[in-house]
Amino acid sequence: MFKLNLKIAWRNLWKNKGYTFINILGLSIGMASCILIFIFIRYQMSFDEGFKNEDRIYRVVSSWDYNDGNQFFSQGVPLPLTPAMRNDFSPYIEKIAAIQNDAGLIKINDAAGKEKIKTIENVFYVEPDFFEIFDYNWLSGNYSSLANPSHVVLSKEMATRFFGDWKNALGKSLNFDGKMNYTVSGVIDDIAENNSVQLKIMLPYKAFKDRNMANWGSVGSNSESYFKLKPNVNIETLNGPLKAFIKKYYVEDAPGKEGHLFQPLSDIHYNGKFGNFSGRIMPKKQLYGLAVIGFFLMITASINFINLATAQAVSRSKEVGVRKVMGGLRSQLLVQFLTETLTIVFISLLIGSILTEIALPGMQNLFNSKISFSIFQHPIILVFMLLLVVFVSLLAGFYPAIIMSGFNPALAIKNKISANTGGLGLRKILVVVQFAITVTLIIGTLVILQQMKYVREQPLGFNPSAIAMVDLPNDSLTTQRFATFKTQLKQIPGVEGVSFCRTAPSSQNNNGNSFSYNGGKDVDFQVNTKNADEDYLKTFDLKLVAGRNLVKSDTTNEYMVNETLLRKLNIRNPNEAIGKMISMGGMKAPIVGVIQDFKNKSLHEAIDPILIGSLKPRFFYAAIKLNSKQLLGTMKTVKKIWEVTFPESVYNESFLDDEINNYYQGEKIMGTLFKVFAIVIIFISFIGLFGLISFVATQRTKEVAIRKVLGASTIELVKMLNGSFLLMVFIANLVAWPLAYLFVSKWLEGFAYRINISIWPFILAMAISMIITLVTVSIRSYKAAKANTVDALKYE
Amino acid sequence: MVGRQIVLRFKRPNLQPSAFLPSTLKKMIELKNIEKYYANKGIKHYVLRHVTTTIKQGEFVSIMGPSGAGKSTLLNILGMLEEPTYGTYEFFGEDVTTLNERKRIELYRNHIGFVFQAYHLIDEMTVYENIEAPLLYKKVGSSERASRIANLLDRFNIVAKKDLFPNQLSGGQQQLVGIARALAAQPSVILADEPTGNLQSTQAEEIMQLFKKLNQEDGITIIQVTHSEKNAEYGNRILHIADGVVKEDVLVR
Repeated sequence: MFKLNLKIAWRNLWKNKGYTFINILGLSIGMASCILIFIFIRYQMSFDEGFKNEDRIYRVVSSWDYNDGNQFFSQGVPLPLTPAMRNDFSPYIEKIAAIQNDAGLIKINDAAGKEKIKTIENVFYVEPDFFEIFDYNWLSGNYSSLANPSHVVLSKEMATRFFGDWKNALGKSLNFDGKMNYTVSGVIDDIAENNSVQLKIMLPYKAFKDRNMANWGSVGSNSESYFKLKPNVNIETLNGPLKAFIKKYYVEDAPGKEGHLFQPLSDIHYNGKFGNFSGRIMPKKQLYGLAVIGFFLMITASINFINLATAQAVSRSKEVGVRKVMGGLRSQLLVQFLTETLTIVFISLLIGSILTEIALPGMQNLFNSKISFSIFQHPIILVFMLLLVVFVSLLAGFYPAIIMSGFNPALAIKNKISANTGGLGLRKILVVVQFAITVTLIIGTLVILQQMKYVREQPLGFNPSAIAMVDLPNDSLTTQRFATFKTQLKQIPGVEGVSFCRTAPSSQNNNGNSFSYNGGKDVDFQVNTKNADEDYLKTFDLKLVAGRNLVKSDTTNEYMVNETLLRKLNIRNPNEAIGKMISMGGMKAPIVGVIQDFKNKSLHEAIDPILIGSLKPRFFYAAIKLNSKQLLGTMKTVKKIWEVTFPESVYNESFLDDEINNYYQGEKIMGTLFKVFAIVIIFISFIGLFGLISFVATQRTKEVAIRKVLGASTIELVKMLNGSFLLMVFIANLVAWPLAYLFVSKWLEGFAYRINISIWPFILAMAISMIITLVTVSIRSYKAAKANTVDALKYE
Repeated sequence: MVGRQIVLRFKRPNLQPSAFLPSTLKKMIELKNIEKYYANKGIKHYVLRHVTTTIKQGEFVSIMGPSGAGKSTLLNILGMLEEPTYGTYEFFGEDVTTLNERKRIELYRNHIGFVFQAYHLIDEMTVYENIEAPLLYKKVGSSERASRIANLLDRFNIVAKKDLFPNQLSGGQQQLVGIARALAAQPSVILADEPTGNLQSTQAEEIMQLFKKLNQEDGITIIQVTHSEKNAEYGNRILHIADGVVKEDVLVR
């Protein structure tokens, strides 16, 4: 019976090729989108999983509460925290381990002592206990070897890269940052990409030296601390001891009240408040948003199916009648119709899988992740696809099947089932729902694009274009060569300006300090400090509003501040601040200039109070302003000079405007996704509409013919056929507006600099939906209105 | 086309093929005081009034009357496609006036075959599959199914057409398939609503001959609705209906 049903289903689909095509097209695109969304979500949800007792692993993170109500968070902890917690929390904690991120020059010599590899790499200083918390797969050696400060453990990938074969790595030696040689004492299996801690080169924590080793007042995001709870200890029970702990160790007065939180391992990939070593955060809210979009896509495609199926039901009525008088039970007919739906959905799944495969590289590019569509690797994807088929088959197929199998055989055989059976009312509601979803997505897309454009065109207060940021190696030897290097750079034709600085005006790398103004107490906020030389203003095109630029000097210190800093200090007139002393970190220096505010972070955040000092700078970058016409050639020369000047190090460059664009990676992804899915959903909705109008036109052929005989013109007939559709889409717009408004206003709240929501995206969305409707529907209804009257009337 | 020989090769041993002695036959259908009306804004529109009649096994009854007389409604009630407003309907002594779906389907599967004016073959199925469909619903085993269909195809001389689709056949051929389909389940009665209404006269004649043979040689009860006096002559009893009332009930010959 099933086989026969399948065969009949196939012939039926073939007979109504047009509608089948529309259904399959809509469903397969919808399903492909759903599968893509699913595999992306699956990948994101797989982060930091698979460790033994993973639910007992936590990370210690830091927070500060300021008097002005601001709160700051950091993924890092003060360096003395780990040993202190190991001692004070021993009743609750099984193991705690510090891990320190660093980067530096790795050099490896071959057997003959000749330099074989020179590269800058990320390294981690880890305590051996770290491996008691995370059970990595050890290929050779063991973690206790890291108790020895001259050992190093490598991942399989690194070991292979450095020594040809990881099996040969044990006992070999590498040099880190020109200071110390380490002997390879172990190799671990590569850590999967979906981990927030990407261990590749692990140095012993004992080899890590820092002047803040005992300083509770300094927190760097490079210093993290993980612990594993003892079994059967509830994390809540640590809150009491934590209060005492904070009271015991934070004895100095600081502008912000220190606090710590215990973040579960499973939260690390999703919590945007804290960062992580991999730099990849995926807020769960965004994943849910994607899931909702996928769900809506599926609903839209299913609505197409329901509408076309119920519209077609009339033409199937005869068959239903005949089958019933031949002894077919309603349930058997139900099964038959569901088989047909299942066939369509299954074909759509196959085509959808192909579309997924085609779209996957684009998706990987967009998200910069290695998401995979291998059902063998991840059988859950197969399970999802099967569930999707069942879900869509039932969602799309059940209602039409109920309607069709319920036809009265006496009426059905006499062809007296009217066109309205199968709920014309319901069909209208479904179209309204479908278009409400579509219009909401169109409005969302328009607003996101508008906001993105606004962000792009926001005046930053400085000019980031054609500025290359070249890394400067920073030790006592190399700094001596800075002056010569700068002179050489300035002589290159095509270089318009050079400034050595700690960071660019806008940077992810920020440094907060407390200070006092004009001999007063420490202020209750932190200032973002940047070091720079006298060329900083000119190179980045920053504007002075009062005072003067920094003077080139090795002995005197001077400060420039921005307007926000003055505003925070309640100083109205910038000239008032000139000459006033700022003391910070035991050093006093005068303010010599006030700079016009510039956006120093992403536009999600407000402008910080900023202080730019000139003395004893640690310069990390050479900012080189280039003539944009000779960019590439100039950079080659820069690289050559750099390599001659710092032969012991490795050259690295980046462009400031690229880095600034990177702040908005998340929004860019959202924008692209919305654009793609909006186009997909528009497409699905409108092919559905086309199918429906085709049907209505066929259905009303006779009516159209009679009206024509009675003297209706083609235009009037087209108007008559179009009317209800335009009304439906109009109502859908009215439904969509408040929903879209809620959604976009919520989204825009996340930006400190944002557009005002205007009526235009709404009007535009309405115009787009109405015009496309009009065009879609008119094409078909014009054809119907022009059809030959005689053919229509002589039938029956 | 013309002059096709229709040979009937099998007989039903349990039934006596003697349409000439209706009084000795078992009662099949008994209608008592059947009424059917549609109420519209409080006004009743009668379609059938006080129809009382008995049809015995082996009869070939033609229902005749002008358009709108209630012929089709009566046939629908006989086929349990519609329920009467009043009155009782007994089928083989069992009251079937109101039946649940399962019981009604059970009767369709075992006792009643339908033949339609517009043939109503399922367009997506071949001749063979159309004939097979009722057997599938009846859950007849596959070898039995194959032999019965082969038999029918053979009898109606449509073996060569078994893989064609309905739209590839002429009207007469389609109706032949329609009858074969109705016979496949070996029903006790065939209800035919203007079976020749869409056919040319030669084809119509053939179909009527076939009905007559089925009735006389296989003892299958046939009830047909027809407009044509000539077609009615093939049967052995005519019910004349006008305005919902049985005006005349005559035996032919």
